[in-house]
Amino acid sequence: MCGIIGCVGRGDDTLDTLLDGLDTLEYRGYDSAGVALANGSVQTAKKAGELDALREHLADWSPSGTVGIGHTRWSTHGPPTDANAHPHCDCTGEVAVVHNGIIENYQTLRDELATDHEFVSDTDTEVIPHLIEDALADHGPEAAVRATLDRLEGSFAIAVVIAGTDAIFAARQDSPLVLGIDDNATYLASDVPAFRVHTDRVVYLDDGQFVRLDADGYTVTDFDGTPRSPSVETVDWDPEATGKAGYDHFMLKEIHEQPRALRQCLQGRVDELAGDVTLDIDPDIDRVQFVACGTSYHAALYGAALFRAAGVPAQAFLAHEYAIQTPPVEDDLVVAVSQSGETADTLAAIREADRRGADTLALTNVVGSTMARECTDALFIRSGPEIGVAASKTFSAQLTAVNLLALATVGAGDEDVRDLIGALRDLPADIQTILDASGAREVAREYVDSESFFFIGRGYHHPVALEGALKLKEISYTHAEGFAAGELKHGTLALVTPDTPVFAVVTGDGEAARKTIGNVKEVEARGAPVIAVTDGESDVERYADAVLEIPSTHARTAAVLANVQLQLVAYHVANELGRSIDKPRNLAKSVTVE
Amino acid sequence: MTVSTGVVLAAGEGTRLRPLTSTRPKPMLPVANRPILEYVLDALVDAGISDLVLVVGYKRDRVQNHVGSTYRGVPVTYVHQAKQLGSGHALLQAREAVDGPFLTVNGDRVIDPQTVGDALDAFDGTPTMAVRDHPNANEYPNGAVRLDGDRVTELVEQPDGPYRLINAGVYAFPAGWFDRLAATKRRGGDLYLPDAIVELAAERGVVGVRTEGLWVDITYPWDLLEATRQLLGAGLVDEQAHESGVYVHETARVHEDATLQGPVVVGPDAEIAAGVVVGPDTAVGRNITVEANATIERSLVGADTRVGSGATLCDCVTGMAGEIGPGVVVPGGETDVRIGTDIHERERLGAVVGDRVTLAGGSTLGPGTLLGVGATVGVGAIARDHVAAGAEVVR
Repeated sequence: MCGIIGCVGRGDDTLDTLLDGLDTLEYRGYDSAGVALANGSVQTAKKAGELDALREHLADWSPSGTVGIGHTRWSTHGPPTDANAHPHCDCTGEVAVVHNGIIENYQTLRDELATDHEFVSDTDTEVIPHLIEDALADHGPEAAVRATLDRLEGSFAIAVVIAGTDAIFAARQDSPLVLGIDDNATYLASDVPAFRVHTDRVVYLDDGQFVRLDADGYTVTDFDGTPRSPSVETVDWDPEATGKAGYDHFMLKEIHEQPRALRQCLQGRVDELAGDVTLDIDPDIDRVQFVACGTSYHAALYGAALFRAAGVPAQAFLAHEYAIQTPPVEDDLVVAVSQSGETADTLAAIREADRRGADTLALTNVVGSTMARECTDALFIRSGPEIGVAASKTFSAQLTAVNLLALATVGAGDEDVRDLIGALRDLPADIQTILDASGAREVAREYVDSESFFFIGRGYHHPVALEGALKLKEISYTHAEGFAAGELKHGTLALVTPDTPVFAVVTGDGEAARKTIGNVKEVEARGAPVIAVTDGESDVERYADAVLEIPSTHARTAAVLANVQLQLVAYHVANELGRSIDKPRNLAKSVTVE
Repeated sequence: MTVSTGVVLAAGEGTRLRPLTSTRPKPMLPVANRPILEYVLDALVDAGISDLVLVVGYKRDRVQNHVGSTYRGVPVTYVHQAKQLGSGHALLQAREAVDGPFLTVNGDRVIDPQTVGDALDAFDGTPTMAVRDHPNANEYPNGAVRLDGDRVTELVEQPDGPYRLINAGVYAFPAGWFDRLAATKRRGGDLYLPDAIVELAAERGVVGVRTEGLWVDITYPWDLLEATRQLLGAGLVDEQAHESGVYVHETARVHEDATLQGPVVVGPDAEIAAGVVVGPDTAVGRNITVEANATIERSLVGADTRVGSGATLCDCVTGMAGEIGPGVVVPGGETDVRIGTDIHERERLGAVVGDRVTLAGGSTLGPGTLLGVGATVGVGAIARDHVAAGAEVVR
């Protein structure tokens, strides 16, 4: 998981263009960064640490050149050090390579190269420049890079500059790579925000494609040289949508953006008065298998419950498990949930499902992502860019979108469709109401020093409990676990003490609420502080030390609202602890390695 | 003199507009479906301002979330006024964010590019303020002005005697002016921008420039209705025009048997059922639902509100996410309205309703009712006068 940037045609602005691009890619990894500029010779600068470390380093010594590549890294092979940072060079220093992905046969290649080449890093990437160096003995620059691609196994997006050639050579295999096209300049990057400030015209490369960027523009071919002419698309979002807009953190901004994100998700898709949900996809559904990881897996659990409620067999699977232990796939629709649409584990799962003949559907935020293009269909959650590594608005939008998917394809079971559409349309205002008056900050201050946190919920609130715990773990580095409310007494109750606050999500006053209140009493009896996330319909407040209120709504949408309170709790706990909220340690936004 | 920076004062609550401002700052109140602040920002951007500084305070999330990090491509910097200690104090917070001469405007008055342009054209480095003719300058609460030639001779809050000009709330200041502002005499701990102007006018003169562009001040709830009428009349609306004075967002769903009487604007994602009559002089906000045969006239209906079948709303301003039941009646008309301790006689006002109220089926709001945030009026009950936030009115 790393971020790549490259540009041709920016003249003296080349270095600044690369650094600014890396700024916007830092969410893809931030343990080291580097750039290489070609101008007759190749000059490289790289540094462990966040991008600021590289900027400081460059303050003393600035490479110049009109063709350049850059990289921000998240370690997979070797610790974050200057030596392991990209770009990597060959023995002569005339070839520089940046790479995202994993070269699976790198050990074999390295053993083969080790006799004639000196390796200075622990990375898999370093084999690439040395392979190119060898190939340059028999080939021109472009052919040398192509010849090298034939030797690589695994996933990669690479970009290469070679001394004496005013061009960038790049290739894509199972890792994202997109071109930005402007009148006098051409860009390449792992993700559009890296060059969005310069152009809104983009070309999404496909797996197995090779591109040459030079002063004349760009040329796309297959690895074997067959010409390709992918279409140029226009992206519509505002480049500055990725600024913090006066908020202390992107995550807090993104939490506050949820009303707008959900309006976008719902726009044009629901008609409350007619009781209709219309999506531009219409998959045939007998059974559903969801595959996802992390936060998206929680959305998948919730989604599977919606389909089961409509009488359709549905299950959620962790994508990495699904890929190696695939359940029987018959007429199933396999729904991949991934914010980025690039999650390698989830891609592996849908490829396996596809191999077995299943129809696949991508539920993602990124138009043009690998998942959106590889699946039979795609349903976009339309959240706009999310920069904070911990997902917030995109989880809410995933829950909303999966409701739309269920309503449009299999209906709502025993529930009244118009009520449910009404509840979905109420979400933006309901979330705004929570944001206007949340007590999460006070709760966070009260319990910030606890050794452990537990989250419980039943039914639709079970995924919310899991997500509440994950969010807290991710950004506060505090131990937390989420449970189905009834499961606590089957083991984990042994850990519950007066030092372990329990967040209980209880809405409505039906059977699920009554039973969860029974579980609340169990933890209360062990002296644990209880924080109820509730709409006030039940009497759970009697057993709670603190209450986080949400507006009354449908049982399904209540899960979305309860999650917003728990996002705020996680944010404020992490903030009280002074954590790096937008870039938590060891984590990257979208994980494009398996 | 070239001025590229515009400082917008958007930190204030607007207490005379409660309960609408209980949940949002005054600049975020919608007029013809757009927050007042958007008209202000448009005026600045259209007048060539390329760097925006927003002073935010009260309920600042609402401003930051709405405007974001750029407005129409112009970068926006936020500075935070933690305590609302007057307009001068608010401006002082922008000191570190501003470099060079700058424009300052109030974020809670609708202005147009011409007003901004006139102030910029007149600015030669001497502090400059825009003024305009006003029929009731004597009663204008935000400052009456007298000029001698192009120099400001008087700026008074409670004018005594005949005045014709008022302070339009648009100023241009030279670089380094913050030091002078900081030295202004405070009143009860608060620092007011007009006080600084008065001191400066006496010391070395302030230029007053007469302007005639569109300009709407909003002090009381009924001003929102009047402002909407004017802006709809001027066509300053985001939504697409369908016929003369009828603006409907492309994502709204309006039943073919509903009637839209212009001037009227229907926001994004709105759903309007058969038999509904909306307008004239009406703005219905984003994502609202109006069920069959309801009537809404001379009203602003806030975003995410549901209006039940057969309801009648006249001369109303409602906040966000109201639940207005079937057959609710707000007959509207002229009445005496109490705002704070003042009684305003014969104002045309049906009701002012805060966010998230519930008006149960068949309930009625008497003319001039002010209903607090989250209040409930029970089935068939009648509410009058002031109803506190969260209160419940039963029959």
